[in-house]
Amino acid sequence: MDALLIVFASGLISLFAAFAKKPWLVVGSAMAGLLAAIIVIIGQLQTGKAFFDFLTYEGLAFDQGALLFSLAICVLSLLIIGIGYERFKENPEHTGEYIGLLMFSATGAMIMTAYTDMFMFFLGLEILSIPIYVMAGSNKADVRSSEASLKYFLTGSFATGIFLFGLAWVYGATGTFKLIEIQMKIQEMETLSPILMIGVLLIMASFIFKVGAAPFHFWSPDVYDGAPPAVTGFMASVVKMAAFYAFLKMFSVCFGLGELMDFWNGALVVMIIITLFVGNLSALRQVKFKRLLAYSSITHVGYTLLLFVSQLDFNYSSPILWFYMFSYGFSIVGIIAVAIAVNDSEDRIDGLKGLGKRNPFLAIVGIVSLLSLAGIPPTSGFFAKYVLFSSAWASASWLVIIALINSGISIYYYLKVIVTIASPAEQEQEKIKLSPLTIAVMLVALVGTLGFSFILPLLY
Amino acid sequence: MEVLLFILPVFFALSVLIVPKSGVRAYGIIGSLAVLGVVIACMMQYSNDGTVHLFGNKEEWLRSTGITMSFGYDGISLLMLLLTAVLVPLILVSNFKNELAENRLFTSMVFFMQLGLIGVFISMDGLWFYVFWEITLIPIFLISWWFGAPERKAALMKFFIYTFVGSLAMLAALIGLKVNAASFQIEDLKAVILTSKTACWLALGFFLAFAIKIPIFPFHTWQPDTYTKSPMAGTMLLSGIMLKMALYGMIRWMIPLFPEAMSCLQYPVIILATIGVVYGAIIAIKQKDMKRVFAFASMSHVGLIAAAIMVWDFDALSGSMVQIVNHGLVAVGLFLAVEIIERRTGTRNLPDLGGFAKQAPKFAFWFAVLAFASVSVPLTSGFIGEFLMLKGLVQFDMIIGIIAGTTLILGAVYTFRAYQLSMYGPVTRDQFADLHWSELIVLAIIIIAVVILGVYPAIITDFVNPSLKIVLETVSTPSGL
Repeated sequence: MDALLIVFASGLISLFAAFAKKPWLVVGSAMAGLLAAIIVIIGQLQTGKAFFDFLTYEGLAFDQGALLFSLAICVLSLLIIGIGYERFKENPEHTGEYIGLLMFSATGAMIMTAYTDMFMFFLGLEILSIPIYVMAGSNKADVRSSEASLKYFLTGSFATGIFLFGLAWVYGATGTFKLIEIQMKIQEMETLSPILMIGVLLIMASFIFKVGAAPFHFWSPDVYDGAPPAVTGFMASVVKMAAFYAFLKMFSVCFGLGELMDFWNGALVVMIIITLFVGNLSALRQVKFKRLLAYSSITHVGYTLLLFVSQLDFNYSSPILWFYMFSYGFSIVGIIAVAIAVNDSEDRIDGLKGLGKRNPFLAIVGIVSLLSLAGIPPTSGFFAKYVLFSSAWASASWLVIIALINSGISIYYYLKVIVTIASPAEQEQEKIKLSPLTIAVMLVALVGTLGFSFILPLLY
Repeated sequence: MEVLLFILPVFFALSVLIVPKSGVRAYGIIGSLAVLGVVIACMMQYSNDGTVHLFGNKEEWLRSTGITMSFGYDGISLLMLLLTAVLVPLILVSNFKNELAENRLFTSMVFFMQLGLIGVFISMDGLWFYVFWEITLIPIFLISWWFGAPERKAALMKFFIYTFVGSLAMLAALIGLKVNAASFQIEDLKAVILTSKTACWLALGFFLAFAIKIPIFPFHTWQPDTYTKSPMAGTMLLSGIMLKMALYGMIRWMIPLFPEAMSCLQYPVIILATIGVVYGAIIAIKQKDMKRVFAFASMSHVGLIAAAIMVWDFDALSGSMVQIVNHGLVAVGLFLAVEIIERRTGTRNLPDLGGFAKQAPKFAFWFAVLAFASVSVPLTSGFIGEFLMLKGLVQFDMIIGIIAGTTLILGAVYTFRAYQLSMYGPVTRDQFADLHWSELIVLAIIIIAVVILGVYPAIITDFVNPSLKIVLETVSTPSGL
């Protein structure tokens, strides 16, 4: 709760700080707020006590899982604000709105991690999404950015509608919004009511839409491609993390029992297989870098969905999700930072050629991030993928084998980008200079991608 | 002490990046010799009773994943470590005359490669084995990508994807095995009792990874292209050490983990490997590119080792250990000989070459000795190795043994054909400089080692036999315990 308030307050502060027309002040206050939130969360994890422990609300419970995910959300938001800062040096006009919206969106994400009733869940989802509709269009000079914004808004609000519709059915079947009570009501049922089943299906559809899995993935390449890179990074890391955790909580606590699980499980398995192949096969032929990342992120959604069908206890599957999404977030931050630094308006993969000459550090960050996305050891992407796959093996070993085959396919396009970075350019290009802030962010991302899995054992 | 095995390569790989250009050559050699020193110190320390000397932490490293930090070595691992530690300085020295030797990135990648190889040989935990196995792929790929022949790209992509997919099969098998075991520790994995059918499937996952790396017959298509397109040092690393990882993996992991699968895998693998032996040799005879000749020759030789390992007989195993060392040394030597010719004439095309024996008698002599070592003439280590392996194969199945035995004849054909076409015949070049001291050193060390091991192979066999015995014993009992 403390961290939530801090992030929200610093979002407000940075909004007002924008009146000073000094981008560094806005970014500085937002970053300070996030740092404070990180420290508070770590403190709460260590001691088990909140600083303002009188501030409680029954709709929100910051238990250990919620705290861990909030920590990840704060860290990744901090990094993404860091890489997005360069843009405002030249054009300080809209710093305040952008940073403020990002902070509010992070607030929404944190609410989604801590919700205990559906009402708070919906609030969190909207607080998370609405700022992103705006942020996706924040690059007003670019038509594609506006297109992305509109597309995301229309499809996103449609999905929200479907979610609400499904929620209404669930409410009709159980008569409550509270997770625990819904769970109890479902357990008490002798036969599953069809009303509930329709509700669950509708909620699942909106979930599949929100995370961008096939067959509801069509928005994501366009939005990822059109939105400003930092926003793409935010969507791929923070938004996905929050959405996955919130829905994992909902599906394993409420709907993850007995017959009901079997009911949606079959549909999800089919969707996972489609997602994996659609994401991978479409990525193979991309020539634009951000589109490639969009399709690769669809594939990653497919891998993550394995957790939903793995029939694990929530207490066991949520740390796995945390580990996976956190290391995925680090690699996304790294690769987006590279894309921003290269600043190729046409965004072609070939534009990365000769990066090693232009700036060796950038090339290393790019290569390591891509290796992590591809899941090649010793990057944390590999360990995360391993943990995920091995947890799913027991209940769906053949699905894991399909996922591994897809890893094999995906190595082709990751490798294509890696070798583009490693090969020399046709003509001489000027060197890329990085600001200290970007370098710091990239260092954190690099340490995260390379050493996250090595640091983690030290903390436990 | 053992931690240095990891720290030194990482240290040299990173620190070489800031060494001034003129010092890179010397720095690389010093670094690789330092690693050699550590390996020798480990060997001195090892009691040679065949048990695994464990170090590292047996507790879980990452919570609830079953990954442990267990590393260790026995005689087999130490022999592979020694081979790595000896070959890396030899490869660096043989590269001395190339511009590449000055390149910091290149030297750095060689050290990363060494780190991966050392890790593979001392991992006693399934997942770390896999991790290091994959780590080796990145530096060798980058070495070939950055410094290889102009039209290398397609071949290298094929190489990477091919081997990566194979490794994924191994990962799947590892995960499938681990769900039944307490942890990834090798003893825990061995303790798992499987039905013969699951064991076959899981062993097949391992086999796919190893078969692609070795390469065994139908999985070899990446190999000749990658060998020819890589720079000389890359080819040496690939054939000298990297494919030994797979042979080591068969001895240490595949067969001991799945003794139940032996019955269904043994015949198919031996037959495939034997086909590879003959097939590689026949293709080698027809090649015009000298490097391709030795690439296919390497495939032929290694196929024989793989077949002998699958026989799983004590003599055949100890013969294959001798041959692993011998092949590592001889392959490096032969590829150096090719490189020497290419450096001076700019081509490897056999019809364009000839007559160098008159102009460069020293080179002719050393190359000839190397060629003899390659065809396993008595008094070279190849003889002992191939003799023991063929003996095992003949005992296993007479026909297979005889077919595999043709490698001796065919080997002589392609080796001496390459030698004769390049060294004898009419003089084709106005001048052909004789050996540079760095080339001479490498060739001389290799030949001396090969001859010493040929005369007195007990140096190797005494060292590995106790460990081999223990590995054999663990498998011969039905439950694998």
